Amino acid sequence: MSDLKKKTFVVTRFDPDKDQVPKTQSYEIPCRPEWKVLDALNYIKDEVDGTLSHRWSCRMAVCGSCGMMVNGEPKLTCKTALSDYGDHVEIGPLANFPVIRDLVVELEGFMEKFKAVKPWIIRAKEAAPEEGPYRQTPEELAAFKQFSMCINCMLCYSACPVVAQEPDFLGPAAAALGHRYDMDSRDEGAEERNAVFRGDGTIFHCSYANECSEVCPKNVDPAAAINQAKLLAVLDWAKGFVVPRKGAK
Amino acid sequence: MKTLLLKIEPVIWLLFGAGIMLGTILLPGYLLTVGLGAPLGLLPEGALSYERLHGMVSHPLGGLVFRLVLLALIALPLWKGAHHLRHFLIDMGGHGSDAVVAPLLYLVAAVGSVLAILTVVSL
Amino acid sequence: MAQPANPHAMAPSRPGRTRTAPPMKPGNWPSSTRYRTYLAFDFTGVIYLLAGFAVLGAARAFAKGPEAWSALLASYRSPLWLLFHALALASVVFVGVRFFGLFPKAQPARIGPAKPPPRPLLHAMLYAAWIGATVLLCAILGGAIL
Repeated sequence: MSDLKKKTFVVTRFDPDKDQVPKTQSYEIPCRPEWKVLDALNYIKDEVDGTLSHRWSCRMAVCGSCGMMVNGEPKLTCKTALSDYGDHVEIGPLANFPVIRDLVVELEGFMEKFKAVKPWIIRAKEAAPEEGPYRQTPEELAAFKQFSMCINCMLCYSACPVVAQEPDFLGPAAAALGHRYDMDSRDEGAEERNAVFRGDGTIFHCSYANECSEVCPKNVDPAAAINQAKLLAVLDWAKGFVVPRKGAK
Repeated sequence: MKTLLLKIEPVIWLLFGAGIMLGTILLPGYLLTVGLGAPLGLLPEGALSYERLHGMVSHPLGGLVFRLVLLALIALPLWKGAHHLRHFLIDMGGHGSDAVVAPLLYLVAAVGSVLAILTVVSL
Repeated sequence: MAQPANPHAMAPSRPGRTRTAPPMKPGNWPSSTRYRTYLAFDFTGVIYLLAGFAVLGAARAFAKGPEAWSALLASYRSPLWLLFHALALASVVFVGVRFFGLFPKAQPARIGPAKPPPRPLLHAMLYAAWIGATVLLCAILGGAIL
């Protein structure tokens, strides 16, 4: 029991039925040295204050549920060691999102941006089943594989300075996912997605802060994806002057 | 205005890209000589004399290269500057006035570019 | 202390069933070094605008003739101009280091049949072009060649 250490957690609380604005509440709890931030939150909820609300699931950084601000930086709390911090840790809901309650944020805005980029294989004509599966070389897979590793944890949205200022901006994860499909050799929907990329949520408002890639827990590198997408969108635009567009739009 | 800005975005981005790439590559040479070397007396006598530079400008092929490099040195940084300043102002909370600020900044860059072309041609 | 973000940041197109608290920017803005570096990077836009117009002024002085050109070069000896040119140089170097670091990963894996060079090679090529152009321009304007 001697390896337990008391730490203080200053947690943002917000109950829409009771509170006008969010406030903070401090909890001092004994912590095991190997704990992650999520362990501390679960201890608080289980042993100290059952009213605390927070999202979590897999405990192993694959589900993307437990994103929160830890000392002002977006983190997956299941992956963030308490030993990286001192005795005083501040936990808040993900930045740049409306807050439903305590540490739980409204994700519907992201879902809309996500759907807007058409994150599925778009083909003029599906191959017949008898023709067998679509084949892809390792090189073709390598062109987009990194961008397919996104777990939709939304840390990138919390880190992005443009998301903080521009409500319409598509944002890192959605744009990176759209680019993932543009780079997939099975996909034929780049023209459709470029229209979205240059629409109201324009990816060109990305100012290459690179914050999204700094905080991404899965090394997706959304900043690389978005800026690659900019070049491809411009090339597609230029091509439109020389080659007539296929199909009426 | 927002629709127009979206429509011309690829052109702005290309000019910005050229500005940050070529502006950054070309400016140090100019700044080290004309901006700092000459005023601080570090350059040999007559290096930046009117006669010597005018000789370069008047050369049939070299003069064209000189003018193009000078044009790039003036115009391209303006587009990088306008675009980045626009984004800096958005970072500072200016999203609401972007529809006014952005065309203004790009107009400044455009006017500067036109003046650059006129000046370079007149050398 | 966290500052408010745009009140409509990440808002859904239709409101949810309960009242939400407004979005806030990350708590470590603007004190975070990384964030400040990014802001400085965008702010160099001002320097580039001023530098472009400064070179335009020099070109116009040159176009006017030898007297105007000599007067301009003499004016560059003032502390204000020296400070501006030094600041411009520092800004351009800062932009170059950051931009050339970010440029390689912004190249798509393929455009049609074309593939970019490996990222470290591309990074080195950018620096080679940068240093090469600087040396060349210094040599020409400095009187060493031509």
